[in-house]
Amino acid sequence: MKHLAGAVIAALMGSAAMAADPGVTDTEIRIGDVNIMTGPASFIGRAVSIGSKIAADEINAAGGVNGRKITIVTEDDGYIPARSFQALTKLLEVDEIFALNGTSGTANVLAMMPLIEENNLPTIVSTAPNELVYDPVRPSVFTLGASYSDAFYAQLKYIHENTQPENPVYGLIRQDDDFGLAVEHGYERAVKDFGVKDGGIVRFKKGTSNFAAEMIQMRAAGVNVLANGGIISGAANILSEARKLGMPLESAQVWSEDMPLSVNLAAQAGYDYYVGDYVALTGDDYDAFVEKAKQYVTADDIAAMNRYTLVTYAALHAMAEAMGQCGQDLTRACTVENLRKLKDFEVGGIMAPISFDNDKQLSGTAIAVYQLDAASKTFTRKTDFADY
Amino acid sequence: MRTGHFQETTGQLIALTDSPAVIGWTGVLIAGLLAAPLVVGNYELTLMVTVLIAVVGAVGLNLLTGTTGLISLGQAGFLAVGAYGNAVLMVDYGWPVWLSLPAGGVVSALISLLVGIPSLRLKGLYLAITTLAFSFIVSHVILYAEPITHGPNGIFVNGAKILGVNVQKGPALYYLTLFVAVCVVLMVLNMQRTRLGRGWLAIRDHDIAARAMGIDLTRYKLLAFVVSSFIVGIAGGLLSLQIRFINIDVFGLILSIEALAIIILGGMGSVAGAIMGAVFLTLLPEAIRIAFNLILTPGSAFYSTYVYEIRGVAYGAVIVAFLRFKPDGLIGLWRDARKYWSNWPLAY
Repeated sequence: MKHLAGAVIAALMGSAAMAADPGVTDTEIRIGDVNIMTGPASFIGRAVSIGSKIAADEINAAGGVNGRKITIVTEDDGYIPARSFQALTKLLEVDEIFALNGTSGTANVLAMMPLIEENNLPTIVSTAPNELVYDPVRPSVFTLGASYSDAFYAQLKYIHENTQPENPVYGLIRQDDDFGLAVEHGYERAVKDFGVKDGGIVRFKKGTSNFAAEMIQMRAAGVNVLANGGIISGAANILSEARKLGMPLESAQVWSEDMPLSVNLAAQAGYDYYVGDYVALTGDDYDAFVEKAKQYVTADDIAAMNRYTLVTYAALHAMAEAMGQCGQDLTRACTVENLRKLKDFEVGGIMAPISFDNDKQLSGTAIAVYQLDAASKTFTRKTDFADY
Repeated sequence: MRTGHFQETTGQLIALTDSPAVIGWTGVLIAGLLAAPLVVGNYELTLMVTVLIAVVGAVGLNLLTGTTGLISLGQAGFLAVGAYGNAVLMVDYGWPVWLSLPAGGVVSALISLLVGIPSLRLKGLYLAITTLAFSFIVSHVILYAEPITHGPNGIFVNGAKILGVNVQKGPALYYLTLFVAVCVVLMVLNMQRTRLGRGWLAIRDHDIAARAMGIDLTRYKLLAFVVSSFIVGIAGGLLSLQIRFINIDVFGLILSIEALAIIILGGMGSVAGAIMGAVFLTLLPEAIRIAFNLILTPGSAFYSTYVYEIRGVAYGAVIVAFLRFKPDGLIGLWRDARKYWSNWPLAY
């Protein structure tokens, strides 16, 4: 009779476990990843995917999360918000993921937000740390990364304090979207704080490739410190126009310009430009990460790695830490609670320690400023990670 | 033995159908669609909603491009206007969704006059470029009219209720979309049977001859723009209800291209073709995904590295192959199949 009662209790407990949040079994935790796997920006999605793979393989090799192996389920959204919504619906309904660790671009994650909130889905946003994502704060959403505003402010501060160009005139060229708006906030703050001359702000439509008129305007204004709000080919074309016009420039860029593909394009203009980033681009910690990555991914994948690989790797480790603290009774609510308590979580020095124990559930805001050597296409770190 | 299908009166010619089989099968299809939420999961239901929204948008575009012969690459613009119209009226002005949704369509229809009037003397590629330019203007206006459109920040579209029921997810959204799709299809089918519809067809086939026969080209072309944009605007409103967040990135140029691809693949000028094209192109990526999952092992190095791009190539290849071997579209395939079985066993 005692055995029977025990068996019934065990069965009930078992069924309770079965009835727990989706995506968790005794042996597996399924983590979703909605990403840009096709189209011109697919190199970002692939880098993200590689970061998740390295982290998952490393965690699994060390025994998993309390014995459960992490499985990554990736869905492509092609950088189209409506498809992001569709992709997350599929991950939730068909693949039954437990949490989300890849969220594509800003508009994409915002399109997924209603689903994330409805399902109390533990989510770390690491590729689009836009203010719109963490303001207002959504209970289950955690953001990893600095604001574009701070990234530009940090670079302009470094330029102002260290390079001291003659008769400095600052200027901004930026996209006419949410990203551009964030860049403008950083620029305006810098101009105000440093009391420097503002040569003006020029907006351009996302996707513009010819910046001749914009850069002539900048030259006419005497701009010699440029906040370059272009992305990848856009940023490269802006620098290329500046070079054609013979403009002496100290140029601040968004962090996408430290990716190998961007560097190959932009370095041709010959400017030793700056980037502000919240991940390590050089140094012993970065080298150690690459060595570790070689154990888990192919040489092709190593070649395809970029900053997004590092930040996604860090995010999955933070997620695993929060899940691990739940013990065997792993639920979404518990994971969210533990993410909220996460403080000074070390990720091998590839970015500042992660702490989500703040009002915005935001971490990784510390930025380091790097400078490119256009000739060798390598970066040198100019500042330590610091909050601005 | 049946040797042909003859219609002897005008009434017979303009009837939606005189075939009991068509009426019967349509009834079965409607019954099946009504029962779908009882048998399919949430994801499948979401896919069906996406298909139905594509159907509404494609039927709208087909009216302009397939029926009237006015090529438009500005559908993303009209879709955006409808979506923003619905979202702004619902979220910022507190209109109920049953009012804001058609109002979004009306806003889109009114805006279409702006592009319709200067485009009256244009056709073919010139008109296509004009409508494309319109789409760019719309995206600029949305970005810069921040007090109205919320600019680059976009709008969260929440709280749409009809009779106290949330119509933004699950079966309620599905039934709302199905209702709108059926209404739009019936409306367009009926319009095509009227003098107006026949006038549009005449303009498509030869506008000078149409004018010689007394058709007012200005009025008819503008009406085509207005009606088409109204329908596409409604599709935009439905899209905003489904994804619950809109900003300008949602309405990229690719949407206009896909809309055109849908009606070309379905068969230009046919409502049934537009429906088939919408179903086919919306579900094709899903079908390819399932096929690849059967062939490859998810999680393998090859899979994680290359499968997405290969799926994209396969998607394009299917469309190209289809147009190469079946240029009159899915509706042509359907007609061939019907003819084959009608004439069986003497089919050739």
